[in-house]
Amino acid sequence: MGFVGNLGDIFRILKHVFRQVFRRPFTYFYPWEDRPYPETTRGRHIHVRETCTGCAQCVRACPVAAIHIDKEDKKFEKDCALTFDYTRCIFCGDCVRSCRFEALFHTPIVDISEGDREDLIYGPDKITTLDRDPLEWRGWRFR
Amino acid sequence: MVGSLGGYDMQFDFFTWFGGLWDWIYGILLWFWAIIKWLGIWILDIIDGIWILASIPENFMFLFRAIIMPGLIFLLLALIFTIWFTRKIWARIQDRRGPTHLGKYGGYQLFADAIKLMGKEIIIPDKAKAWLYRILPSLLLVIVLIPFAFIPWDPYWNIMGPPGAAYGDLSVSLVLVFALLTAVPVFSLLIGWVTGSKYSLIGGFRAANNQFAAEIPMVISSVGPAMLAGSLSLFSIVAAQTSIWYIVLLPINFATFMVASIASVGTFPFDAPVADSEIIFGWRTELSGIYFTVIYFAEFAEQMLYSALMVSLFLGGFNGLPFLPGIVNFIIKWLVVYFIFTVVTSSFYRLRQDQIVHLCWKYLIPLSILNVVLVMFAMAYLPWLVPLVVGG
Amino acid sequence: MSPDILDESCVIWFGPQHVSAHGWAAKLTLVGDYIVECDPNAGYFHRSAEKCLEFRNFRQGSMILERICMMEAFLGEYPYIAAVEKIADLEVPERAKIMRTIMMEFNRIHSYQFWFGQFAGELGLFAMLLWPWVDREYSLDAFEQLTGSRHTVSYATPGGVKYDFTPKFLSKMDIALSRCRNRMPLFDDMLAGSPTFRLRAEGVGQYTAKQALKWGLSGPNIKACGIPMDLRKDDPDPNLAYDMIDWEVPTIHNEDHPGECDAFDRLHQRFKEIETSLDIIEKLLPLLPEGPIIDPKARGKANRLPEGEGYGRVEGARGITTVWLKTMEKAQTPWRAKIRGPCFASYYSLKHIVPGARFADFPAIFGSLDPYPGWWDR
Repeated sequence: MGFVGNLGDIFRILKHVFRQVFRRPFTYFYPWEDRPYPETTRGRHIHVRETCTGCAQCVRACPVAAIHIDKEDKKFEKDCALTFDYTRCIFCGDCVRSCRFEALFHTPIVDISEGDREDLIYGPDKITTLDRDPLEWRGWRFR
Repeated sequence: MVGSLGGYDMQFDFFTWFGGLWDWIYGILLWFWAIIKWLGIWILDIIDGIWILASIPENFMFLFRAIIMPGLIFLLLALIFTIWFTRKIWARIQDRRGPTHLGKYGGYQLFADAIKLMGKEIIIPDKAKAWLYRILPSLLLVIVLIPFAFIPWDPYWNIMGPPGAAYGDLSVSLVLVFALLTAVPVFSLLIGWVTGSKYSLIGGFRAANNQFAAEIPMVISSVGPAMLAGSLSLFSIVAAQTSIWYIVLLPINFATFMVASIASVGTFPFDAPVADSEIIFGWRTELSGIYFTVIYFAEFAEQMLYSALMVSLFLGGFNGLPFLPGIVNFIIKWLVVYFIFTVVTSSFYRLRQDQIVHLCWKYLIPLSILNVVLVMFAMAYLPWLVPLVVGG
Repeated sequence: MSPDILDESCVIWFGPQHVSAHGWAAKLTLVGDYIVECDPNAGYFHRSAEKCLEFRNFRQGSMILERICMMEAFLGEYPYIAAVEKIADLEVPERAKIMRTIMMEFNRIHSYQFWFGQFAGELGLFAMLLWPWVDREYSLDAFEQLTGSRHTVSYATPGGVKYDFTPKFLSKMDIALSRCRNRMPLFDDMLAGSPTFRLRAEGVGQYTAKQALKWGLSGPNIKACGIPMDLRKDDPDPNLAYDMIDWEVPTIHNEDHPGECDAFDRLHQRFKEIETSLDIIEKLLPLLPEGPIIDPKARGKANRLPEGEGYGRVEGARGITTVWLKTMEKAQTPWRAKIRGPCFASYYSLKHIVPGARFADFPAIFGSLDPYPGWWDR
């Protein structure tokens, strides 16, 4: 590689970098913009108690024992109350796959971080609904 | 007489002595009061003298120019702007945005960073020489900020006026600027050594090696414009570029000066003393809190200084569009040069220390010396060149 | 060098707390700027994965294997699934075989895109740290569309795969792969074509093919020496689709130093591997038949396994990754699982490659060998 060849390489590299300065950046301006999550995203779960039969296959399938079941707590004839421990959940999807009664689904909601550890353990009232408090930050409201 | 001893009167009258005691004490008090009065009058005389000196219009304007504009306050604000500008450009090169949340477009991020860093705990390593460790970083920042006094921002609104005027530019200000800049890597070596950690020591040695390699081509490259202008004073070099900018005549010199100054600052691609992936942060590893802030600012101040030097030596300084004040011309050119500086530094991989020395000695020095020789022959044998470049 | 030169040596721990040593350490003995001895010191990243596997059943075990190295998550969990399938004697449908192979090659491309960024960043160019990672984002979007998770795909299961290809996934994969292909000239300019990169990477970290075979290197580290040792060709897994098409093993032949390779050759080798993977995916996509994606008897058989031993192997992005399982009669969990990662060999070969190099070459050497502590500490 002669001196002139090196100089040509150098100018080519400078041209690439210079052009990159003026392009729109790839990052999203979180939290005002966020990337689109497909509907297959394995986010937090939602437990549909109408179709649940309390078979506990999801509890058996979980690799990290993040699901706890209370079979005495019934709202409909055969269901149960599930508690999801999101401090242990690895979002693997085995519980959803093992449910034959279409009572457990993943949702694309992934921003579930909380300030206290106890808020991350979703009890039966929190896991059955998608509502949550909006986040206040510097005068803006999100979610 | 009773009890004489060798002819002296030993009789002691106690009451006479007691009566004169008060006068004696009063005399001592008067003596103290005279000293205090003398001290007060002396201090008032000094303040009076300073006031008389400062109220002479030229002196007052000098102080105003040196401290406010384009002096210390302007410089600190420009430094904060520079660091913001650099972070935004680095971010855009890396396909992201840089600081955005504080202030519109992230302008206040620097203040937040400075306040946070000043509040951090200052950890002094066990084996460090504590007092040197505390003084050296601040001394480094002072040495980097002093050469800004000699940069010709504007023909009138400048800290140093034209040579020969009151507060005129030194006739060798270019040499003084380089003398101060050469002290910077020595401080890096010292900081690396007094820290007492192996990584810092390696970084310090590499900084000294960098100086050995890079300062020489930089100084030789600056001889070209000095010869064309016929003087070593920065103000005269800029004043001589009224008809033509020296970059048109000496483009290769500009390139060698730029590369040598990047190597001298110690930023990528020549940042082996501070290599992020090999020696954690080189000689800056153990600095924390206020010392880190000072070093961080010193690095960007050095980059600003080299850009300003490039503008004054090659790009004509305050000469430019005639309807704009000189300092605005200077700042526009300075922004362009700083932008090019940042883009060039972010495009190349980090060279190994021996490769830096190899590059500087084998390629930059011959090119710079060639430039100097060309300028010498051109000045001697091309008669139409001299009035063109010396300027009016 | 005479023995008394070691009197002026200094010992530095290129320790676990270091910007570019992500979880491993090496004790370097320096004389001046040259490294005289290198003593790799493993153990900072141990998470007892093998013991954890003994408490999880055969569908849950792949979750642990995925997380040993996140960059090649699918390539990491596949040998476990292969071992289970050997013990339980499961039949994988053809559609699942092709889908697994496509996903493996896609994961390999993603791992190399990550490596480009990491290597360039270690050598000091922060622009080139993030540009390949932008392309990686498109691959991760495709993974998320198919399986639901960006890194830990958990795509394979004993007997087949879990999720079927959808048209949305195929279009996202197409976007990711075409972007990867179109950006190759840019990375070629910025990496192989950059004079400063050639200064840093040429002649650094050399070893001959014989030494590589002796140390047990595999994957791109040995293919760069010119030896076409690739598990996909030498011992094609019957549960994958590598033998359904013809493709060539990517090796590079260097005329300057045949039989040896340095960091620059390993870079070229990984460029070629990406091209081969793109080629394989292109050839496999039209061959995808309709049909089931999982063996219908898998659910019953994978619950309790007969007594036996299974040995699953795969050519991962860094080399040959294997998992050996031993089960007792009617086992729900394995009796013993042994994971063999490819990076153990490359990490300990640093002991032989590094002495004689300068200190600043050390990140270049280990960066080009692509070690990841998850594989040797598990």
